[in-house]
Amino acid sequence: MNEIAITSGRMNQGVDPVLHAWTWEIPLYLYLGGLVAGILFFSAFFYLRHRENVFPAAIKIAPLFTPFMLAIGLLALFLDLTHKLYFWRLYTTIRWESPMSWGAWTLMIIFPLSIIWSAFWVKDVFPRWDWKIPFVEKSIDFLARYKAYFAWALIAFSAILGMYTGILLSAFNARPFWNTSILGPLFLVSGLSTGAAFILLISRSEQERHRFSQIDTFLIGTEIFLIIHLFMGFLASTSVHIHAAEMFLGGPYTAVFWTLVVGLGLLVPMFIEIMELRGVKVPVVIPAVLVLFGGLMLRFIVVDAGQSSRWLYKFMEQLIF
Amino acid sequence: MKEKPYWSPYVSGVGLGITLLLAFVFMGRGLGASGAIMRFTTAIVDLFAHDHVMANPYFAKYAENPFSNWLVYEILGVMIGGFLSGMLAGRNKWRTGRGPNISKHKRWVLAFVGGAIMGFGARLSRGCTSGLALTGGATLAVGGWVFMFAVFAAAYATAYFVRKQWI
Amino acid sequence: MAPFFKYGFFTEQTGLIIALIIGAGFGFWLERAGFGYSRKLALQFYFRDMTVLNVMFTSIVVAMLGLLFFSLFGWLDITKIYINPTYLWAQLIGGLILGVGFAVGGYCPGTSVVGAVTGHVDAYFFLGGAMFGMFVFGEMFPSLEGLYNWGYMGDVRLSDVFNLSSGVVAFAVVVLAILFFIGGQWLENKFGKEEV
Repeated sequence: MNEIAITSGRMNQGVDPVLHAWTWEIPLYLYLGGLVAGILFFSAFFYLRHRENVFPAAIKIAPLFTPFMLAIGLLALFLDLTHKLYFWRLYTTIRWESPMSWGAWTLMIIFPLSIIWSAFWVKDVFPRWDWKIPFVEKSIDFLARYKAYFAWALIAFSAILGMYTGILLSAFNARPFWNTSILGPLFLVSGLSTGAAFILLISRSEQERHRFSQIDTFLIGTEIFLIIHLFMGFLASTSVHIHAAEMFLGGPYTAVFWTLVVGLGLLVPMFIEIMELRGVKVPVVIPAVLVLFGGLMLRFIVVDAGQSSRWLYKFMEQLIF
Repeated sequence: MKEKPYWSPYVSGVGLGITLLLAFVFMGRGLGASGAIMRFTTAIVDLFAHDHVMANPYFAKYAENPFSNWLVYEILGVMIGGFLSGMLAGRNKWRTGRGPNISKHKRWVLAFVGGAIMGFGARLSRGCTSGLALTGGATLAVGGWVFMFAVFAAAYATAYFVRKQWI
Repeated sequence: MAPFFKYGFFTEQTGLIIALIIGAGFGFWLERAGFGYSRKLALQFYFRDMTVLNVMFTSIVVAMLGLLFFSLFGWLDITKIYINPTYLWAQLIGGLILGVGFAVGGYCPGTSVVGAVTGHVDAYFFLGGAMFGMFVFGEMFPSLEGLYNWGYMGDVRLSDVFNLSSGVVAFAVVVLAILFFIGGQWLENKFGKEEV
């Protein structure tokens, strides 16, 4: 008797009946990527507007955290890989049509950029800092003459970093919940908002906190707008997309999303920040922490929910992990 | 920012009553607090001694997923509502509630002891002032009214012995 | 027809969101009344501040009358409302214990949460104690099971026990509340109301 072995990608428990491949590593990386994008964007932006003295935390102190955040994010990404030793293959090619290639190369560029950018400001934050190696000291001084060019590069690449995480997910057409072009801008705005919240957290200047409260309020408002339109888009789309949206409108993800992400992560901090701008005294750490928490929950829930949504057997019970 | 005075108890009572009524109208149930705290306690014990929790019939009931529980979300809301109210009135400040004749630290100890006694009593009664007295009182449940009068009686009787703490 | 959840107007998940919103209202009004401050709560038991009595009875009366009238108008199905089951002796003794804890600790579980989020440090200690007390109860449960279930009477309401219609009982409650308010006012004047 001849035996025929049939293998199919669907015979993988991590794929059928529901995609179960990504757990915590990917959402954590997406979150840190967005956060870093936000911090670097604001740092470069306000540097180009010559606000170094007015916004010291935003321009000088916050970027110092970014290399470490990126490192943790990249580590999480690495841990998620199945064939860990072959990660370098991503860098042997540039594929313009692949968001993953965009992401890999953007990270490859932003990581050294963030380190160099932080190096420019280290002496301002730690006056007694000594580079120890004269070559390093000289190169930093040399490159510091081109700070403006670095700033422009940072603006471009941080915008790409913030956006591509959403575009990466939206490229999965087999996952209806992710398959929407609003995800890119949503993640970008969320990243900027968490970056502004982080700056709020570490800022010591009243004026800086005021300004970033305003910026954050505006960004949260934009995020709420985008989320509403995310769902409006789903409900006006194919029935599979409607089914995906219904996970959040009465389905298993309803409570966690609308209370933790929208309620605690967006509406409550926005209300507190608006009240703060009108004179009510609140320790700024509270809205900032809430926004940072909300951004993290957004990534976790979007990644989890996307994996629950599917085209086939759309009337099967959606599962949560 | 100057602290604003508290609102009249009757106004707050009406507000609270309407909130309770809305809970009945929307969900068919009243409010609660001790249940959520019990769930939180069980979750923490569960982290350290899962088998022990499962073996105990009382704990096991509270060990299920906290994120699917009405009271947990309600208590989260209480935190938000309480904070926002205090914030709007300028009353959010680190301090310890106590009378003029007792130190901060003694008050903390008594708060812990009082809390322990109350926690025990709340579980024995299957509810606390919000879940049993307010909710049960409004639905005219016998247990709620008996409980409420017992609480007041015991509190008045004990008050004499702890008067140094408050007055 | 209310209660909306029991008639399938929305799912359990949406009910959890409603829990958050109603809880926010609950916490808001508790704080507005000053229940985050343990001393204000405790002064009730020295006749110097009748807020606890006033707020509790006002809210009970409002909710009770609401339930009564909504049921009367046919807007609400009273049979679908959760009635707390009565365990007469367990709840009596539990109430006595809770009263002692209230006087010593100065809070009850709901108000301690409000106190904690508004910065009252003693509320955190109270909450820690409450968690400990509940843990002790759980640990002792096997020996307490008899007491825990002592006096089970089912879902009885006052109207069943006194064999009166719920309208009459509600009226009696309102009269009682008014008496308490007037009495409380007199006591406050006698013992000296403290502005906290």
